[in-house]
Amino acid sequence: MKAHPGRLASALLLTLMLASGASAQEGRDPLMRLERTARYSVEVLMDSARLMGLPTRPIESKVLEGLSKNASPRLILAVARNVFRSLRDARAALGPKATLDELDAAASALRVGMTQSELGQLGRSQHGKLLTVPLVVLVDLISRGVPRDTASQTIFQLWQRGAADDDFLGLWRGVERDIVSGADPGAALLNRARQVPSREPPPVSPPRPE
Amino acid sequence: MADSKQHATAIAVSLALLTTTGEHAVAQNASELEARLQAGAMMSTRRGNPLPLNALALTPGIRYADRRFSVSASGEAWLNGERWELGSSAAAFQAQTPLLHGVRAEVLANATRRFVDPSLQNDQLDAEGRVHFMRQRGGVWLGSGVARPLRVSTVTNVNVNSGGVWTRLGSTTLRGSVTSFFFTKLASPDTIEETVPCTAQLDAAQPLAPTGTGMAAIQSSNPGCRHQSRLTDLEASVRWQHRLLELTVRGGQRFGNSFDVTPESRQWASGQAAFWVSSQVAAVAGGGKEPAQPTRGLPARSFGSLGLMLAYWPIPRGVVPVATPASLINAFELRPAGTAVQRITARIGGVESVEIMGDFSDWTALPLIRRGRDQWELLVPMSAGVHHINLRIDRGQWIAPPGMPTMKDGFNGEVGVLVIKP
Repeated sequence: MKAHPGRLASALLLTLMLASGASAQEGRDPLMRLERTARYSVEVLMDSARLMGLPTRPIESKVLEGLSKNASPRLILAVARNVFRSLRDARAALGPKATLDELDAAASALRVGMTQSELGQLGRSQHGKLLTVPLVVLVDLISRGVPRDTASQTIFQLWQRGAADDDFLGLWRGVERDIVSGADPGAALLNRARQVPSREPPPVSPPRPE
Repeated sequence: MADSKQHATAIAVSLALLTTTGEHAVAQNASELEARLQAGAMMSTRRGNPLPLNALALTPGIRYADRRFSVSASGEAWLNGERWELGSSAAAFQAQTPLLHGVRAEVLANATRRFVDPSLQNDQLDAEGRVHFMRQRGGVWLGSGVARPLRVSTVTNVNVNSGGVWTRLGSTTLRGSVTSFFFTKLASPDTIEETVPCTAQLDAAQPLAPTGTGMAAIQSSNPGCRHQSRLTDLEASVRWQHRLLELTVRGGQRFGNSFDVTPESRQWASGQAAFWVSSQVAAVAGGGKEPAQPTRGLPARSFGSLGLMLAYWPIPRGVVPVATPASLINAFELRPAGTAVQRITARIGGVESVEIMGDFSDWTALPLIRRGRDQWELLVPMSAGVHHINLRIDRGQWIAPPGMPTMKDGFNGEVGVLVIKP
């Protein structure tokens, strides 16, 4: 059968159009899925974050998460604003040297009720270690019903005693298991925290004046 | 004609078509609706009363479960020749209290109909209360209850006391239980099947009449005579699951005097294996020995089965509001699979699709690939650092995968928080 040149040209054109459409879609800003007014507000929020030297990725990620979970534009914007505020406060508490992961985890901790001063206290006793895992564990414990003060104090004490990331994750596993088994969340944390070994000797108390 | 040693042997060759509508379909309040229909061919023989080899069984069942209670019903219908007959069936109710300091109370009530063959079948109502002490990987329980067999002229109420222990070691579940039965038997011609005479009126040394004639004579001379029966079952089971293979082995020992426990019911053992050829086809084989149920007048029996399970699929979504129960997920793991790549593996049985999403995918859902009946896998580019991740089953609700810290997502849900070290 003889191919018609006109049909061939049309098919080629259609293919080119589809290909160009697909590549345009691939390169499209993912925030385009957000309703226009809300998108404008998010863009302003991200510009503000850039100006303040804050990472914009957590804000953008939260917006995309909200879109995938079919949240309303209004709720997405409210949550994005909350993320922005908590990032700003976390940076103020931890200082400019905090890593992106630390900032993100610290912002989450602030959102579940940890105070800026408690966060600052943790940041000041870092001794070169990363705060990410203790903060991730802290946020989970508070979400599971451990009283906020008990959780922050316990994590802070373990942090000062030199607990490592694996200690914090082991503590989390133990507390989670106890809570599932019906234990009181606060009591479970205190009980499990006692079993975490001390990694550093307690600070030597200053000598008393004769 | 009945034999003195009533012995039923059933060989089931079942080609099962299991259409499951709503296997673990869970409503937003964690309620659960499950319905199933099983069709199969079965052959069974019992001495003196064979069941046709071409009998076909349909087994529909439905179950609704909430956090506090569950109700279920199941039945079995037999195509016997050209006529349908009702086989075994059951209706059950179970209610439980919330878990408090690892302790939970439970009430169970059942109405069951047992069908051995067209000439041997009866009904029973029973209720039991249990107290469980549960930990993450094991637990113990104690229970007490009463059962009322119907259409069994030889038995009054049955007092049942039970206790048990279970533990889970990796993919193996071990279970042990002790159950004691205490009941009164009325001497009647039917009791000869269990060789339980009215001892108060009988010389123990006197051999029992193998036919109904002797017993009828005893009963006619002592119409009110009764026998107090007591027997205890000790049973253990092991269930092991590895990739495509499921094995279940159980065995038991019955204690009681010779009037209550026939020799063939002293010990029993059985096993069953299922090998999943694909996600929807499994070869099933099993066999063993089951003890008698003297409270219901059902004899001990040996059985063997060989079958092929052909299909298994969940409810069309949208019929029931669906959420994902974390309890469906038997395992969820991430392992490094190269530079900045993680291999996600999950063991989730009886579902059609598993998806994940997170910041690493710009919150686009990524379907996991089925690698076996309950094995799912996906390679995901994921750099070192903190990542937020969600998982969903059968396009249900997004949940945090088990085994990792979680946090609220701000959208009335939760995300899992992964920390991947450099």
